[in-house]
Amino acid sequence: MTRQSNTMAMQPIQSPAGLQRLAPGTLLKVAVPVVATVAALLIGLLIIASTGSSVSDAMEAFWDGMAGSGYNIGASINRAISLGFVGLGFIFANRANLTNVGGEGQLAIGGMIATAVALHGAAALPFGLAFVLPLLAGAAAGALWGGLAGWLKAWRGTNEVITTLLLTFIALPVVYWSVESVRLLRKPMTEVSSLPESAEIAAQTQLPMLFPSDPTSPLHIGLLLFVAAVVVVWVLLARSAFGLKLRAVGLNDMASRRAGIQTGRLVVLAMAAAGGLGGLAGAVLIQGQNHYLTNEFSSGYGFDGLVVGLLSRGSPLGVVVGALLFGFLRSGSIAMEISAQVPAAVVLICQGLIVIAVAGSTWLIDKKAGRK
Amino acid sequence: MTEDQLAVFIGSGLRLAMPILLAGTGELLSQRGGVLNLSLDGMMLTAAFAAALAAWLTKSPMVGVLVGVMASLVFAFFQAILSVTLRANQLVVGIGFNILALGATTFLYREIFGPLSRDTIPGFGKVAVPGLSEIPVIGPALFNQTGLTYVAFALVVVTWALLKYTSFGLAVRAVGEDPRAADQAGINVTRTRYLGVLYAGAVAGLVGAFISVADSNTFTEGMTKGAGYLAITAVIFGGWNPWKTLAACLLFGFATALQFLVPTLKLDVPVALLLMLPYVLALFAVAGFVGTSRQPSALTLAFRRGG
Repeated sequence: MTRQSNTMAMQPIQSPAGLQRLAPGTLLKVAVPVVATVAALLIGLLIIASTGSSVSDAMEAFWDGMAGSGYNIGASINRAISLGFVGLGFIFANRANLTNVGGEGQLAIGGMIATAVALHGAAALPFGLAFVLPLLAGAAAGALWGGLAGWLKAWRGTNEVITTLLLTFIALPVVYWSVESVRLLRKPMTEVSSLPESAEIAAQTQLPMLFPSDPTSPLHIGLLLFVAAVVVVWVLLARSAFGLKLRAVGLNDMASRRAGIQTGRLVVLAMAAAGGLGGLAGAVLIQGQNHYLTNEFSSGYGFDGLVVGLLSRGSPLGVVVGALLFGFLRSGSIAMEISAQVPAAVVLICQGLIVIAVAGSTWLIDKKAGRK
Repeated sequence: MTEDQLAVFIGSGLRLAMPILLAGTGELLSQRGGVLNLSLDGMMLTAAFAAALAAWLTKSPMVGVLVGVMASLVFAFFQAILSVTLRANQLVVGIGFNILALGATTFLYREIFGPLSRDTIPGFGKVAVPGLSEIPVIGPALFNQTGLTYVAFALVVVTWALLKYTSFGLAVRAVGEDPRAADQAGINVTRTRYLGVLYAGAVAGLVGAFISVADSNTFTEGMTKGAGYLAITAVIFGGWNPWKTLAACLLFGFATALQFLVPTLKLDVPVALLLMLPYVLALFAVAGFVGTSRQPSALTLAFRRGG
């Protein structure tokens, strides 16, 4: 965390004209994640080969799962959207030098509240409010969950890494509670064997399809929402006074306060925005894809989204690339396990290696960026 | 509540507290030196798998434990290279290692044991303390545990003494509070931090081996179930103090044991409430609402000489 902030401290805050020139180390910033990803995937291939399974069969199944049909491509993109929202939230807070590791909890709470609103009340609303209101409620719930960590940071000076992690481990049992209790969201039990889950949300509360005329395309308007979020986050971070203030607070809290910035408020806002994006990810996951709440529906999305945010090194475009990569990888790995009997855990190994390699080469980038 | 239920409750509370207590004790030392190992869960999982594999191959639980600890030490060494030498973000490195450990153990387990293996591996018997274990009600619960439980409690005392009374402990605390001053006073910051991480790794390895070899006699995917995160939470809730961490671990263990007690007493308390209880308590503690808790000043901060 501190290393990154130091790097930023050494770069002059650029004028718009200066943005045309690449800052030192920019090439490396792009090259490191790319090289790490390629190397990790090659290691993954070696592991598959070492098991004696046919690499070509595995690759074929992998490719088929990722992009073998319009449906598979759409499903991969849908996965990427939820990861991307969490990743955007991460880089937003990180601009203020805050590390939000609570994406999983914010996503879980957002998805739960979106389900609750969709099941109780929203379905009867006119003008598309039926699906908009649950989305907003999910985002608000996530914002509250993230904002709480921001508030504790601003008011009590509590490390946000610790609080967001703790809040995640509080959020997951809350979701479990809500799907486990009939008095909350669990659907009335019809069979003894049924797993705890909520009733399915009504059709008008689900996200509208992007191509209603093509029933094989799973793409929903979450994609447009995500593209809009990328643009908004980019403008806010790179082109607005707000983004500059966030950066100033992240670089030097004391100096920012002397310069008249209300740093406490900004910290709460940054964490609430990060949490809100996480909550939105959960709402989109439920309303666009799952359509009902289950225990552990958030599994992996929050932490994978965090990794996407890390790999992007603060760039919204990087988040898009990372989210697509992880979305497609996840789809491919599931197909590979089913049709080529290669454990999907190979992809986990690759993901772990990528994170470690990128984290481990921060010093290299810092060095190139002009600081030994 | 009958006497039997009370005895079972005390016994299971202790048994559940043991892994977090042991892992938390090692982690406490590392954190006092300024390094947070978010990958504690991965260390335990790696050790659990390596121990199960070795015990299964050699038919010796003791060899299993040794191999488990060694696997965890190798893991910890790589983590120290990244966290200490390369000054990578400790939390990110921890998350990466956790993903890697989960992936690697799941993959190897499926390749070696097959996806639905229920092969049991040789384990340890319980050790009853003569005399004490015959005390009514609490005797069998407290003094008839596997050997590792006693080791866990002994290690808390050892860690406390190490931190408080040895020059190594002084070095660890100095490095965790003000690495620059410690460096100028002639303490080798890098070496001290490496030793801290390795200590945490060795202890976490012991816990992992305990979980697979002694406790369940088998390995299952992701079998640590986040015990590593709970241990880190206990260290935080315990305010980085060995005795308070011990109390926190016991509290967490008994809170988990309540899950099994509540249904037998026919009480209507949601299990979820008990699951989140440790984390809610820890949140209040770090926010400063419960007691005073101050983290080591240089926790998670990398150090470079002369920089």
